Amino acid sequence: MKQTNSKQITWRTLGLALLASLAVTVVAQTPTALPDARAVIRLRVKVVLGDATKARGLSRKRFFLIKGSLAENESLIQSFEQRLLVSRDCYYRGLGASEALIRWLKASDCESVYCREVEPKDVEGADAVPEFQLAVAAGEKEFGSRELARKWLTVNLSDQIRDGFYKRQQQDLVALIKQAEELTKVKVMSVMTDRNGTAYFTDLEPGTYIISNILATEIGDRASLWNFEIKVKPEDLATEKPILISNPGNKDPRYVRNIKFVSVEKTLPACPAR
Amino acid sequence: MSGSVKPTRVSSNRAMKHYKVILFMLAPMALAFIICPQQFSGSGEVAGQRRGTRKVAAPQAARKAPIDYSKFSHATKQHQEACKSCHKTPTANWDKVREFPDVADYPDHDACVRCHRQQFFKGVQPVICTVCHVKTSPRDDARLAFRNPAAPQQFTIEFPHDKHQDVIASLRWRPKSDRAVNTFFVKSAHVLDDKKQNYYNCEICHVANTKALAAPATGWLDGYAPAIDTFKAAPDGHASCFNCHWKSQEPIRNNCGGCHKLANAPFVLPASHERKSIKFRHEGGGEKRTHAVPPTECTSCHINITKSATLRGLKPDVPITGCTECHNKSGIRQDLNKELASLDQDKKFVCSYCHTSNVGKLDPPASHYVVAERRALKRKDLK
Repeated sequence: MKQTNSKQITWRTLGLALLASLAVTVVAQTPTALPDARAVIRLRVKVVLGDATKARGLSRKRFFLIKGSLAENESLIQSFEQRLLVSRDCYYRGLGASEALIRWLKASDCESVYCREVEPKDVEGADAVPEFQLAVAAGEKEFGSRELARKWLTVNLSDQIRDGFYKRQQQDLVALIKQAEELTKVKVMSVMTDRNGTAYFTDLEPGTYIISNILATEIGDRASLWNFEIKVKPEDLATEKPILISNPGNKDPRYVRNIKFVSVEKTLPACPAR
Repeated sequence: MSGSVKPTRVSSNRAMKHYKVILFMLAPMALAFIICPQQFSGSGEVAGQRRGTRKVAAPQAARKAPIDYSKFSHATKQHQEACKSCHKTPTANWDKVREFPDVADYPDHDACVRCHRQQFFKGVQPVICTVCHVKTSPRDDARLAFRNPAAPQQFTIEFPHDKHQDVIASLRWRPKSDRAVNTFFVKSAHVLDDKKQNYYNCEICHVANTKALAAPATGWLDGYAPAIDTFKAAPDGHASCFNCHWKSQEPIRNNCGGCHKLANAPFVLPASHERKSIKFRHEGGGEKRTHAVPPTECTSCHINITKSATLRGLKPDVPITGCTECHNKSGIRQDLNKELASLDQDKKFVCSYCHTSNVGKLDPPASHYVVAERRALKRKDLK
């Protein structure tokens, strides 16, 4: 058997100590993020409508942050993609809503009548919305003031006309978010874009995430669905990670080079005959 | 037989003696029980209090303190019936004091008298009347403002910003012509050339503050008195609630608990506001009011408000990038860079462009250095 003398042991011990101290030094020198640092993603959504050349910010649309990669959440993404699309116009046509109401909602991309104030021209004159006229008449009877009846118009609209489409969308959204949270075991974060199409996901830990709008967004006569994967690395902490996304066909020279992800677009289905 | 009698008498005498002893012992106890029954009626708690110190006995004294009927509390168990058992919505006076149907007055006398008859008719000036009435007099029925601004708040408000943000206006799309099929962007919901802001946004509830700002007890720090419109106002009534939540859209007017949650204890809203960047004016931004007008909008800076489901723990959440998009942009302004450069020159420099000295004398946070594209520094590391 090979004998080990005391000299060898001393050298080995010294060597090990040196290695250990080196390891400690390396770990200590590795740049670490600030203890309370969290990453921020600045999402910018710039879209073009039809054959327009200038892209604009997609305002007031929700985007969601889902933990995990696209591969890990394949079934979830399929659920998003396979969701039956019903356009706002078709929903309201299905209810038998007036064309004037459908136009009024479309004018500000409204999912419900809460979206903007009903103005006097919307209840009187040629462009008046019949549903609004009926609600104002009921309100006037109830409150004794036509002005108040107009301002409080939504309280005298039927539930479906008032916010039926929005609630239908929410119902689907809640179910899909629940599915995502059950799959990933992590709460889905959501933000809404501002008027410039910018939104921030804050307080993020390193990891892989999916950014999605879950429900396809109506842009003109098409519906855009974004599902893309991003990675937040440890070195991204305490910084802001800008991500520019768009829909197909965005050739705006201000943005085209920086676009990271493009949506999948579908033509909105035709409304079923009533 | 006789032989058996004697021992019996002896034992009978002994038994008699025992009875007497027991009787003498029990009699004073029975007497004491008759005279002071309360001393024996209590639980261990009372016994404990008797054995304990004065401090232990104090809570009993507190419990026995007379009820102050000049103060009404919704936290009292008997006051926690359905809200509509006392409050009417709307109250009969709404059209005299409000521009919309509202809960604008205290409940009727019946709501109090049905339990507090005794207090209601106690003396010439029953103290219970002062809960609602300005004067305690049968000849004067003037009531305090409802709700009484001088009284502490008893409820916190539950308001999901996220849900409300969902339903306000989006981009404005308009047909190229009224009959055209194709549409294109004309302008967005809050553009400059909108003559009126008819589009719903945060300003439905948060208009510019118009009330005078109360200086802190110690005076304004550094002598900097913020302008009134430094802050936004928050709703203090139902004006921006009932227009949608009157009927059918829950929580409706009778479902008070849908928004009002009983606080753990009454509280007074702070008279002055706390802000890290007290010098930022919501209605400011120079002559063009760039803080208040498009393309800036509330969510451009308050980046987390659209995901906030509750008011609890709500923070302003304004990242430095919200400021530096204009205030540290080459060709426009270099306000942050200038401050950091001054700090490089003098480590005792107090940042004062946005902050008063309570914040300005601290180390700039790492986020400020990130935006300035510099390595983060601490004052102690500067020469």
